[in-house]
Amino acid sequence: MRVSARRVLTGLLILGGISTLTQFLRFCLPCRQPSQGAGEPVTVLVRDGWRVSSDIPLVFVGGVPRSGTTLMRAMLDAHPAVRCGEETRVVPRILGLKLGWAAEKEGVSTKVLDRAVTAFLLQIIAGHGEPAPLLCNKDPFTLKSAKYLAHLFPNSKFLLMLRDGRAAVYSMISRRVTIGGFDLSSYRDCLAKWSRATQAMLTQCTQVGSKRCLAVRYERLVLHPRSTLQTVLKFLGLPWHEGVLHHEEAIGKPGGVSLSKTERSTDQVMRPVNLDALTRWVGHMPPDVMADMDAIAPMLGRLGYDPKANPPNYGQPDPQFLNNTQRLLRGDFKTPVASLHLNGRPLMSMKGSQTER
Amino acid sequence: MRGQKVSMLLGCALLCSASLLYLGLSGIDCPPPDHAHRHTWADAHLGSTNQSQASPIYYGEDTPLIFIGGFPRSGTTLMRAMLDAHNAVRCGEETRVIPRLLAMRATWSRSARERVRLDEAGVTDQVLDSAVRAFLLEVIIGHGEPAARLCNKDPFALKSLSYLARIFPQAKFVLMLRDGRATVHSMISRKVTISGFDLTSYRDCLTKWSRAMEGMYSQCQGAPEGSCLPVRYEHLVLHPEEEMRKLLSFLGLPWDPAVLHHEDLIGKAGGVSLSKVERSTDQVVNPVNTDALSKWVGHIPSDVLREMDDIAPMLARLGYDPLANPPDYTRPDPIIAPNNYTLLQRTEILHPS
Repeated sequence: MRVSARRVLTGLLILGGISTLTQFLRFCLPCRQPSQGAGEPVTVLVRDGWRVSSDIPLVFVGGVPRSGTTLMRAMLDAHPAVRCGEETRVVPRILGLKLGWAAEKEGVSTKVLDRAVTAFLLQIIAGHGEPAPLLCNKDPFTLKSAKYLAHLFPNSKFLLMLRDGRAAVYSMISRRVTIGGFDLSSYRDCLAKWSRATQAMLTQCTQVGSKRCLAVRYERLVLHPRSTLQTVLKFLGLPWHEGVLHHEEAIGKPGGVSLSKTERSTDQVMRPVNLDALTRWVGHMPPDVMADMDAIAPMLGRLGYDPKANPPNYGQPDPQFLNNTQRLLRGDFKTPVASLHLNGRPLMSMKGSQTER
Repeated sequence: MRGQKVSMLLGCALLCSASLLYLGLSGIDCPPPDHAHRHTWADAHLGSTNQSQASPIYYGEDTPLIFIGGFPRSGTTLMRAMLDAHNAVRCGEETRVIPRLLAMRATWSRSARERVRLDEAGVTDQVLDSAVRAFLLEVIIGHGEPAARLCNKDPFALKSLSYLARIFPQAKFVLMLRDGRATVHSMISRKVTISGFDLTSYRDCLTKWSRAMEGMYSQCQGAPEGSCLPVRYEHLVLHPEEEMRKLLSFLGLPWDPAVLHHEDLIGKAGGVSLSKVERSTDQVVNPVNTDALSKWVGHIPSDVLREMDDIAPMLARLGYDPLANPPDYTRPDPIIAPNNYTLLQRTEILHPS
């Protein structure tokens, strides 16, 4: 090909055209957001000299209320390397607020809003208790936002407590534990809501992935505490500590288990791990609900809890811990709630203390 | 010759479609947005683009923030735009999330029962305040360009003025005041929705304006000495230099003539960033002017005019004659100090003879 001025001109025009097209495409085609990992972690000053960043290892414990979330966090609290502490109540609220904001067009960018939420959460989670190598937060409904939390805290892990919905619902109704959105006068309503909430949380857990989210069965935890906790601690990358099997001995102790006078599970979790609550629900389900059980709460069947069995076979207990339940039934740990004391102060029963969602 | 041309064109077409396909599939990195450049806090603190600082400085409770607010349609955007023109200050657009967080925080502390539950959980006032502070700082810092003096304008944030003064002891507050009749006329005629306000009723809006102003104004007066400055919109547009000199002195900032010509710095780096969705943007692109001062006259229903003082008692308290349509804004009545108000006869104030 002869190189002529005309050809050069044509060539230049074509190149010019391509580059214009590319620039035009930059605006038309959806562009990739620069990777979030490139941003600096959010750092907050909690107390004198104690700084915490968003890249610290964190564990979020949650699930539908009355599924053993308090037991799990109490057992973890008994581990010297972990501190969960009480339900903060405000963590789910700020997450709910943020959810409402994402929908509208706000004055701040998503990135800035995420950093602000991260800073807020860090201050609450770190600030409401003592320091520990692994900080932990237990507010049951946070697992509905597991994916978002996993994005804000890149080194966070999640423990999703699962339980037979019939047991969870019996517990909330018989103990009158107010939970936003659950109609405590209707087993049907509560079971349906349980099923939907469980499904939502399980979906989030699956999306976060098995390396970061572990589902734990309440029944398995109380029947086989040693092996279940071994799995949990391995998942969290923590060494074994015998103390997790005797959390009741660490209550109120420094570095141990801090309980709230106003939380609804406190009186139960002051006792050693036991089977007392496993099958209490049997005989309390209304017959019409029992007949429609699978339709009302499809998650029961999907999780392997036979909707027609009352109760299903949850498994055989470890003999070591069977002793706890026998002692419990004998009345060893029974104290009237009115005289239960915590840190020398009486345990008031706060009527209708609502679990935050 | 022709064949070569055709094959060359074909080759180009193939190249073009191949690159299109590649770009479409692999995606192009988004160009970094002007605002959210992840600047180090050191830059912001020094107010320069010098990247010499190695470790970031942490903003904390001693940050000398500036909070501008007041009732919407009271000149809050004009005020922040003029301050934005100052070389040391950056306010930026309304964040909209700050007032919501503050409102949520207020509800938590209102219920005694909730306070007990939170305390039991270790979520004390101190912990909550640290969390709110951290949230606010992240938003205010990340919201725009770095500056030596950071500022925030969300009108209703000043409903929590006392709280903000407590968690940011070095902060300064600028409360915009304006004749409620002008404010409400602006809201209604421009259809600026504010939750809880019935835009079909001057009576409703004026009543609510008065109540809201009472809350914010009393917090401003109750704030630590020298931390809150009320600024009249009317005086700002009639005597901008005088007002801005007073304001900058109050804020501890040097004089910068640029504040009198904010319209020259719109969209410029270090200048005034405007929001496409905010309702005052079309007005604030203009230089300071007195156009909006008395536009409300003749628009308020006569029954409301007659009962004006009862409907909106804050008018008189703030020095706006409720029976004058309009008052002479060039000669403003002094704001009545709270202890004097109850002693003096109302008629004496309104019609001094």
